[in-house]
This record gives sequence, C-alpha cells and structure tokens, in this order.
Amino acid sequence: MVKSEQRQAIEELVYRSCLALDEKDYKTYLALCDEDFRYTISTYSPEIRREMVWLDHDRKGMETLFTNLPRHNSDHSPLTRHATVYTIDLDSSAASVVSAIQVFKTELDGGATQLFAVGRFHDTVKLNGASPKLAKRVVRLETRLLGYGYHIPF
Amino acid sequence: MAKTAAQWEAKPKFPETHYVDSRVYTDEAIFEEEKQKLFRPSWIIACHESEMAAPYDYRLFTHPTGVPLIVIRGDDSKVRAFYNICPHRGNTILYDPAGNAKRLTCIFHQWSFDSRGNCVDISRGEQGYQERFCKEDAAMREVKCEVGFGGFVWVNLADDCPSLREFIGGAMDILEPYMQQPMEVFHYHKARVRTNFKLWHDTNSEFYHDYLHYFNRITGMMQPGYFDRKYTGFPNGHATVGSMQIQYDKYDGSKERAVGWPGLARGGWYMVDVFPGMTYNLRTSVLRIDTAIPLGPNEVIIEFRGLGLKNDTPEERRQRVFDHNMIWGPFGRNLHEDLLGVHGQGRAMRRGTDSRWVLQGREENNTIHDEVGMRHYYAEWSRRMGRPAYRP
Repeated sequence: MVKSEQRQAIEELVYRSCLALDEKDYKTYLALCDEDFRYTISTYSPEIRREMVWLDHDRKGMETLFTNLPRHNSDHSPLTRHATVYTIDLDSSAASVVSAIQVFKTELDGGATQLFAVGRFHDTVKLNGASPKLAKRVVRLETRLLGYGYHIPF
Repeated sequence: MAKTAAQWEAKPKFPETHYVDSRVYTDEAIFEEEKQKLFRPSWIIACHESEMAAPYDYRLFTHPTGVPLIVIRGDDSKVRAFYNICPHRGNTILYDPAGNAKRLTCIFHQWSFDSRGNCVDISRGEQGYQERFCKEDAAMREVKCEVGFGGFVWVNLADDCPSLREFIGGAMDILEPYMQQPMEVFHYHKARVRTNFKLWHDTNSEFYHDYLHYFNRITGMMQPGYFDRKYTGFPNGHATVGSMQIQYDKYDGSKERAVGWPGLARGGWYMVDVFPGMTYNLRTSVLRIDTAIPLGPNEVIIEFRGLGLKNDTPEERRQRVFDHNMIWGPFGRNLHEDLLGVHGQGRAMRRGTDSRWVLQGREENNTIHDEVGMRHYYAEWSRRMGRPAYRP
C-alpha cells in the first residue's frame, strides 16, 4: 500500500517534470532524474504492424540533446504537458507509475491552443534517496501524426 | 533597395527555365490537373514488401489522385493492387491500414472477394439477380502493381503505362548496388503539412537549404568533399545526388556511425528523387523513403519510412533506429527543420498572399548548391502539363 506522503511525493515528481519541460528548464528536469536515467518515446504502428522507438537516450544523451537543441531551428510555439497520475505500484525501493499525458500546443500569434499528442508515461521512480527520482521514463504515444514535429521531448 | 509593386511583379532576371510562377503551388485547377497528368500515369510507391511478408497480408494506400487502394499478397505470393471500393454500392471494403485477410469482405452487404480480386460470394445473389448478374460481373478493379528497386511495392493507375523499369530508367543505377540484400521497414510515420507537395520535393531536390540544418552544416558543409557532390538528371523527371563522407563525429553527442551499409563507403550518402513526389535517401546506415500524398494545392501528407537490413542483428537494428531518430525521426533534428521550412513556404504562398516567383537560378556546375535538381523537375512538369511552369 502506498503511503499518502509517498504518493504525494511521486505525483509531485511527475508534475514537476512536466512543468520543467514546459518551461524548457532542462537543468531542473535533469535534477529530477537519477544518474541512471533512461528516456524513451515509443509507439506502435498499425500500418507496419511493428513497435517503434522514436527517441531513446540515457541521462548523458538527454543532457547532450538539451545542449544541442538551441543550435537548431525549431518551432517556438510552447507546449503544455498535462499529466494525471493513474496508478502507483510499490516495489522494495522503487515505484512503477503510470500517468496519462496530454500535450497541448499554443500558437504564438493569437494564442490558439490545440491538442498536440496523447499518451502515457510509464515511469520507474527510485525511492531510496532523500527525494524520489525518475530512473526511467517511457513515453508511450497514442498520437503519431505530429504535423511538422517538435524538437523537445514530452 | 526594396521593390515596388511593379518590380515585385516583374519577371526575374534569369532564363525562363530558372524560375517558376508561384501559382503552381497554390492554384486549385492546376492541382486537379496535376493529379491526372503527373500522378495518374506515374509509378508510385505504395509500401514495402516487408510490410506484407505472408500470403494474404495486405496494406491500404491512398493514391495521390485520391483513389483508395488495397495492396495484397495473394495465395500465390504475388502482390496485387485493387481499388478499396466495393463494386456493389461503392463502400469501403477494408478499414484497418494493414492486416491479413483470406477473404476481402465488404461489411455492408457481405459481398466477398479473394486475394486475386475475384468475387467469390454475393449474398443471396441468385434470389436477387437471377441470371442477370453474377460473381463474374462483380470483380474488383485491379491496378498495375510491381515490386522493385529495393523491394518496394509500386502501383500505377494507368492500364497502358510503361513498365516500372522503363519509368525509372537509369535513375536507380546509383543505388541499386546497395539494395541487393533484403530490407525491412522499422519506421513509419506520416506528417500532414499545410504546403504544396512540390515544395517538399523541391526541398529534397536541392541542398542549398543545408543552411537550415545545423547538423548538416557541421557534419557536411564544413567538411571536405561537400561541394563536389553532383546532381544528375534522368528522363521522366528523376534526379540523383552523388555521395560524400559525412563527418558525424563533428556533432556533439554523435560519432562515426558504428553500423554501415553493405558496399557503401564509410559515411556515404546517396539520394534519388523520383518524379513526381518520392525520394530514396540512403545515408550511411539507414534508407529513408519519402512518399508525398497531396490533399490539395496547399496540403500534403508525407509518408516516411526508415529501413534497415532484414538480417540485422538486434544490436545493428538498435543502432540504425538510433541513427534514424537523431536526424529523421519525428523528434529528430533535421526532419522537423525541413518540415518547418516547407510549412513556412506554405504560409507565404497561400492563395492571396501576392507571392509571385520562386527562383531556381543557382548555377554551380551541377554541384550541391546548384538548383539544377529543381529545374530538371519543372522541365518534366512543363512537358506533362503542356505549358511552362513560369507561365502556368
């Protein structure tokens, strides 16, 4: 059984990770992640009937990605990540956390907001430190049509 | 000094082959004509054979003219293509984008067809049609279909079309040596963009826009051999781009590709642009295929495929997927930039924006920043449309 304080801490970790990326505050995002952090975006293609991986990095890879992104041309429309923690299953020193994630994109000119993507976070959260840390995040996308795309992961 | 309205309207100071009227990207009537004169008689990539490996495997494909197709591997393993339109009441026969179906059965009245397009059952046929209409009268509409050039499944709506090899001519000579081993699709996604389909093909037909890509500037443009890459035009509007050695280790977080491609020099990169809207892009460890499906003069769906070798080890495949995603995935550095580029053209060239000319005037001995690739495309466009692209 998850204690309410634990649940609150884990939920806050998920929500803070969304806020950090919404703000493009990569330093804060990485501070929420364990040294062995691994980040993956995956989805299933009914067209080719295959599992697909669209992004896969360890912590160092994420740091490099965040360093490189400002050097590239990109869409400047901000994203807003809206997560809802569904389930938390405790192991000895980690928790498996499943959250729903909706990503909205807001046009800079006029401020119209559109749903950009839906999916789920499948997180592994380490609990043996002073504060819970993201050890693994698999962003499981339902949405596969992303227009002209985006550089910053969800 | 900025231009007046008259100066903006004036023809560019180039030969008429070196610019196009921007109405070719915006005009509804031109677009409808293009569907019939460019796409209908051309061979178009519908899918790859690895997407339909077993008998009765099928893939749905919306042809650029709008015709919905079923591509299916028959009981005899031959790949055929049919309209996904029931000959009874015009309903959709198959809905899922891929699957395996021994019988193609329309859910509306349960008319059923086999993998060769024959009608095998009409529900209560004799009671309703007596001797007036039978299964032989109710076959599916078959379209030309060939598998070739790397195991891709090509379709052609014109019954009197030339063979696929005649259509391609020598344009694939540069790539065929590297497509001798069976390949497999590991990546597929679509992008829907508010732009004209030719603007995407234009982007694939010129490298001057490498200024858009930090990755390509660092690993290519600033490296030896970049400005030696050459364009070669072929009949029917196809064009190729020669190779160089990409210096992947010049980009932070990247390194020399651990996995190559059989026969391809280290860091090699060849491209073949196939008229009117497909591109083969073999870059070191991955083959990418683009297929443009226009929805209107200012809207296009582009299908992106990434392929490796069928006999890849798990580690080789993982590396190819990683290499693909770094630049070409939906979150990759280059693809987003390219799509953003043509999205911007679509914004600026919509009907009523007073966009006027698109320049294709760079001449650099057919090398990488020469715009001869686009000029070659529009020469074929003009031939098929019966008028020049500068006066459409």
